[in-house]
Amino acid sequence: MAANTHTLPLTPKTGPGRKRSGPVPAWALKVGTALTTLSIFAVSFGFASSHLYITSAPLQPVVVSVSDPSRSTTSLASSVRTTTRTAVTTTKSS
Amino acid sequence: MDLVFWELARASGLAAYAALSIAVLTGIAPRTRLLTFLASNRAVRALHDWTPWIVIPAALTHIVALLLDATAKVGVLDVFVPFLMSYGTLAIGLGTVSVDVLIIVLVTTWFRRAMSNGAWQWFHRLSYVGFVTLFLHALLSGTDLTSPLISVPAWAAAIAIGYYTLERAGKALQPARVRT
Repeated sequence: MAANTHTLPLTPKTGPGRKRSGPVPAWALKVGTALTTLSIFAVSFGFASSHLYITSAPLQPVVVSVSDPSRSTTSLASSVRTTTRTAVTTTKSS
Repeated sequence: MDLVFWELARASGLAAYAALSIAVLTGIAPRTRLLTFLASNRAVRALHDWTPWIVIPAALTHIVALLLDATAKVGVLDVFVPFLMSYGTLAIGLGTVSVDVLIIVLVTTWFRRAMSNGAWQWFHRLSYVGFVTLFLHALLSGTDLTSPLISVPAWAAAIAIGYYTLERAGKALQPARVRT
C-alpha cells in the first residue's frame, strides 16, 4: 500500500504560511496503530463473548438439523381394537 | 470450541475493518493534510506503507475462523469466488469481493516496479472500491454492527473516509479545471 510520490507531494505547501506538522514520529504512529487495532480486537472479542446470540443481527445462518435416514423411526398408530364380545352397556331406544 | 471460532471471526472482522480504515485514511492523508496536526506527511506515509502488517493478519484470522466455524458454513471457494453462498449471498459475497480487491492491491503494490506508474495507480485506486464493499459487507452481515458501541465508530470511519476521498478527488480535479 505504498503511496505514490508523483501524486502525493510530501510538502504540499511551502513558505512562511506553511502549517507546522505534528511531532509524532513514524515509529510511534505504527505502535499506536498496532495497539489500537489490538485493543479493538480485544474489546470486540469480549463483546462477542458476552453477546453470543444477537437476535437483531442481519444474518442468521440456517441451522440444518442432522438426520440419519437409516435410523429406525417410531411410528404412532391407534391401539383401539374392535371386539366380538357382547356389549355390557345398552343404548336407550325411544 | 465452535463458539470460539465464531467469536474470533466477529472480533477479527471488526479489527480488519479498523485496520483497513487506518490504511485508507493514511493513504488519503498526505494530500488532504488530514493528519497534519499529528505528524509529518513522511511519517504518515511510512505508516501507510506499514499497514499491511496489521491488515493481513486481521483479515486472515477472520477468514480462517469463518472456515473453521461450523455455523457460518463458509467453504474455501467462498473465500475467493463471490456470491456462491446459499444464504446471505450478497452480504457475504461483498466480503469476498473486498478480499479479492485487497489481494489485487497488495500484489500490485509489491510488484509495483514491474509496471508503469499509471497502471499501478489504477490498481491502487481499487482500494476505494474495496473499502465500500467491505463497509457494505459489515453493514449487511456484521452481527455486531447492530450495537451502537460498534456501529457508531464504524459509521464514523466510513463517513470520514467518504468525506476525505471527495476532498482529495476535488483537489485532484482542480489543476485540470485551470488548464481548460
